[in-house]
Amino acid sequence: MLPRPSLPPGFDYLRAASPDEVVGLLQRHGDAARLLSGGTDLFVKMRDGAVQPKVVVDVKHLPGMRDIAFDEGTGLTIGAAATMNELVRHPAVQARYTVLAEGARAVATYQVRNRATIGGNLCNCSPCADTAPALLVLRARMLVYGPGGEREVSAAEFFLGPGLSALRADEFLMSIRVPVPPNGSRGKYLKLGRNRGGDLAIASVAVLGFPSEDAPSGYLFRIALGSVAPTPIRTPLAEEVLAERALGADAFAAAAEESMKAATPIDDVRATAAYRRAMVRNLTLQGLQEVWAALQ
Amino acid sequence: MSDQQTLRYVGKSVPRLDAFDKVTGAAEYTDDVAFGPGLLYGRVLRSPYAHALIKRIDASKALAVPGVKAVVTGKDTPGFIGLYLRDRHIFCTDRVRCVGDSVAGVIAASEEIAENAMRLIEVEYEPLPAVFDPLQAIKPDAPLIHPDLGSYHVAAFLLPKPGTNISNHFKVRKGDIDGAWTKCEVIVDEWYRTPQIQHVPLEPHIAVGRWDRSGEVTMWSSTQAPFTQRNLIAQAFGLSQGRVRVIGNLVGGGFGCKAGVTMEGLSVAMAKLVPGHPVKVRFTREEEFFCASTRQGLVAHVKLGATKDGKLLALEVEYFWDGGCYTEYGTNITRAAGYSSTGPYVVPNVKTDSYCVYTNNPSAGPMRGFGMPEIHWSIEQTIDRLAERLEIDGVELRRMNCVKTGDEIVTGMIMHPIGLTQCIDKVAEAIGWGKKAAPSAPHRKRGKGIAIMWKAPAMPHNPGSEAWLVFNDDGTLNLGVGGQELGQGAFTIAAQIAAEQLGVPLDWVRLARPIDTRYSPYEWQTVASRTTWSMGNAIRAAASDARKQILDLVAQFWDESADDLDIRDGEVISHKSERSLSLRDMVIGGLRLPGDQGFIGGPIMGRGKFMPTYVTDLDPETGQGKRAVVHYTVGAEAVELEVDTTTGQVEVVKVAAAFDVGKAVNPGLVVGQIEGGVVQGLSSALFEQLQLEKGRPLNASFVDYRIMSAMDAPKDIISEYVEVGQDDGPWGARGVGEHTMVPTAPAVANAIYDALGIRFNEMPLTAEKIYMALQEQRGAED
Amino acid sequence: MAVHSITVKVNGAEERVRVPSNMTLLRLLREELGLTGTKNGCSAGECGACTVMLNGQPVNSCMVLAVEADGAEVTTVEGLGSGDELDVIQQAFVEVGAVQCGFCTPGMLISARALLNRNPNPGEDEIREALVGNLCRCTGYKPIIAAVQRAAKMMRKR
Repeated sequence: MLPRPSLPPGFDYLRAASPDEVVGLLQRHGDAARLLSGGTDLFVKMRDGAVQPKVVVDVKHLPGMRDIAFDEGTGLTIGAAATMNELVRHPAVQARYTVLAEGARAVATYQVRNRATIGGNLCNCSPCADTAPALLVLRARMLVYGPGGEREVSAAEFFLGPGLSALRADEFLMSIRVPVPPNGSRGKYLKLGRNRGGDLAIASVAVLGFPSEDAPSGYLFRIALGSVAPTPIRTPLAEEVLAERALGADAFAAAAEESMKAATPIDDVRATAAYRRAMVRNLTLQGLQEVWAALQ
Repeated sequence: MSDQQTLRYVGKSVPRLDAFDKVTGAAEYTDDVAFGPGLLYGRVLRSPYAHALIKRIDASKALAVPGVKAVVTGKDTPGFIGLYLRDRHIFCTDRVRCVGDSVAGVIAASEEIAENAMRLIEVEYEPLPAVFDPLQAIKPDAPLIHPDLGSYHVAAFLLPKPGTNISNHFKVRKGDIDGAWTKCEVIVDEWYRTPQIQHVPLEPHIAVGRWDRSGEVTMWSSTQAPFTQRNLIAQAFGLSQGRVRVIGNLVGGGFGCKAGVTMEGLSVAMAKLVPGHPVKVRFTREEEFFCASTRQGLVAHVKLGATKDGKLLALEVEYFWDGGCYTEYGTNITRAAGYSSTGPYVVPNVKTDSYCVYTNNPSAGPMRGFGMPEIHWSIEQTIDRLAERLEIDGVELRRMNCVKTGDEIVTGMIMHPIGLTQCIDKVAEAIGWGKKAAPSAPHRKRGKGIAIMWKAPAMPHNPGSEAWLVFNDDGTLNLGVGGQELGQGAFTIAAQIAAEQLGVPLDWVRLARPIDTRYSPYEWQTVASRTTWSMGNAIRAAASDARKQILDLVAQFWDESADDLDIRDGEVISHKSERSLSLRDMVIGGLRLPGDQGFIGGPIMGRGKFMPTYVTDLDPETGQGKRAVVHYTVGAEAVELEVDTTTGQVEVVKVAAAFDVGKAVNPGLVVGQIEGGVVQGLSSALFEQLQLEKGRPLNASFVDYRIMSAMDAPKDIISEYVEVGQDDGPWGARGVGEHTMVPTAPAVANAIYDALGIRFNEMPLTAEKIYMALQEQRGAED
Repeated sequence: MAVHSITVKVNGAEERVRVPSNMTLLRLLREELGLTGTKNGCSAGECGACTVMLNGQPVNSCMVLAVEADGAEVTTVEGLGSGDELDVIQQAFVEVGAVQCGFCTPGMLISARALLNRNPNPGEDEIREALVGNLCRCTGYKPIIAAVQRAAKMMRKR
């Protein structure tokens, strides 16, 4: 069946006033409830019929949900309903978390970025989510609220599968905490779409590099891939190459090969697995070269 | 009478008449019209099968939904409908022939209720074997998609083959093809493919039908052809044309998908069940991608031979068109392609077979270029291949063989004055042909490609235009036309031509719109890039008619010769006596004679028409005829691009385009068509394909059907035009709206070959395709 | 399905309306308030034909619930310019010839106006990025980009 002309009838819109109210609604309605943040994923799914909630709970207006704050101690705290453009514009994000700013800026179009939220991007849990690779390399932590209060889930443990996050049925994402990146770090997010601008990622790579005495090479790198596995993933073997070997063209090429091997892409209407694999390698290489140049 | 040197409006880039309305949100499209509280909505249940018999439809659950007024099925629409071939029903009767075929319609108080109820209709299908590739569908054992093809009403110039899936077979047999091959020193023989793509107008299809109790039918629609829609719908319902009225509002993009009747009959069929209520049917974007009209796919086999000096001698062509499940319009594309199969070249020996083949893919039809982009993809790459084999420069080979004034072309027609060589020269110069520029980075490769084109309006022999012109007391006037404003600027050039020919200020001219078949004068269709030429001629004739009446009247009044009089800026002036007289009042109230002698004159109305009378048939066996088309517009494009070898992505650096428009009535609008056509052509070359899996579209949304965005569009488009006048065009004008999309894709392919040394016979040239081919090339080199 | 009473300021005028939960801002504008300048091109947040300003920021109104706009300020194409005077961006579109079929134009104008509000002197790449969410099939984008540059120039003169 084709998507409907507009949103289906038969659901109620509620604006939640407190986190406990959200939990209560989730408990009461279960799968018949959906949380609304930006709406840019949810409304598309509702029009398609992929989800058919009876209750849509708007969480944007919860206290702190839209706040973005930075301090040198805790780092960045991002309310789950902060929009992509708000992230991109934030001075601290621009200055200290460029890889995240680039990820947010890569989402869709300017209009969509005024509504799409980081929380929605993460909880939608698409393998293509543009903010996910950055949060993986930045070792972000998701602050989740449920019946038992708050709990933290690391970004590495948050994405379980396409559309499946670590959130339990009666929990929701409140904020994301991103620690201060290591001193001297430089980052890059590269996204390949079918055309320039506005597309979903065919393959994407986030690279973060920083000087480190712990690494024989003198640097540590963190690499995360998007759109080429059931979830966004890190590439530990590639990172190991870069930690161990003398850095230069050969090491970067070897790391890019390892990065490619970490990917398990599929054939779909957008691209073939073979192309995606090759692009992982080429984008990883490009990302490493750019971060390396910025580190000098 | 204005002569060429003293033109006031024609030849000037006057601002568009409709720009103010469009930038303020005042412009009214069909979905903006207020229809009042009686408005109902219709939604259509569509087939999930590519080919199946409809065994049973149970709409009882739908009818029980509160707010539902009626359900319509094929039982209510037994009449056949179609432009050149009546091969479909408004709602399927006994079978569905493609995924998305219209099976039933729900009419309800709101679109939402109609949608909900539509989903409750139960249909039992019996799937039939289906076929999706024209090469398979043309085989004798292929599933027969239209068993009754032999009984369909068909235009006289088409040749369907009943008992097969061939709805048209056009032939050219010219010269001595077998003998010619023996004289060819170089022969190129290749197969090419272009997929189905879609026009993607920003405004999706929409129609509002109302069937009054008196039996009068009114339909508002986004249409390129109100009169054709009236005729086809009247015929399908067995009504006289006088009882059917079509109102064509502003069109938010057509590109051919709104040229005939695709979905509009649905609104009328629904309206019939709820007399007196307007019923609105509007397509979602997803429906737009495959339920109205797509561009035909093409499998082309081209074999071209030349002497070693580069003289083209022999051409053998087979076109297998994927017309989809209904080819009521598409059949004529295959004919036009057939008689254009040499491309803009002189080839003395030609054997062409152009087949329109039914498949169970979405119904396909005309898109900007009417078969020309599809065939030039194969022609222009073949020419490039030939040039390489001959070791003759591609521009030089084209200059040598391209059609020139006085040449005999493939149908035997003698080419009228045209400036194709000038177009080639212009683009070669603008792109810096022959100069190799360094790529902007080590991992990028750079190349240039050129392609040339021709196209004639593909029409029945006698498509007519009419215009009228009536005045207001203050001298301003209302201009009646039947041509539609699709964005190309038809209304603006209409006003320019009227003002110029009559001699009034441009802002005295108001178009009578929206086009309304009850009041507007006849216009065959706004297609084929014929509007400036044909409608323009009719307007000029109407203005001349009014002018003559006015001058004769004033001549009588002043006792002078009308030859000494003129109209300038809304005033009649005498060159002889230097008297002047305003049109005000006179054009309605006539002139009062001195001495209480009464009046002469009265309300002035100018009328005019244009219809070509000289078009001849083409012999069904040979495709030869004295004058099969009215004229050709020719042109050239050159593309400079870079390929990122790490991703396969293409960046178009520069496009140079030049077209012979005869006379640029509004140069700014000509440039608009060039820039827009180029980008649409680039988009088709690089991104676009309706991905069909057993007839089911996998990418029927903007998410996965990518079109050029503001970030993709090339930074540099050089638009030029040449003016070799058309003998029967207004001030020599010919059309250019479609032509600008025709050579773009092959120019891109040729540029990519120049950059990479890799040929691509199949469109689109996506980054993935290019990258994988580069890998293969690297592998072959290792 | 719940019906909500909302107050929205549209083009400077306060509107009190009752809207069902599932009504989008696009439908509110077009079908309830009769502001048909904003267009429906896809209902999926992809084409930008429905772009309006929501609290000063361009958004796809097909992806916003009417009820979400409670208490907000909305500007549509009808709200550009004042009285008889066109906004510079509208003026520039007319002068440069950046309009053909006009269906993308209202959304394009809002996106362009919003760009100039936040960046009065955008470079060409910035203009392209700002407009990537407004699809146009007719113009090839070149005159639209030129119109934004012209409007920026006109703004600097004033």
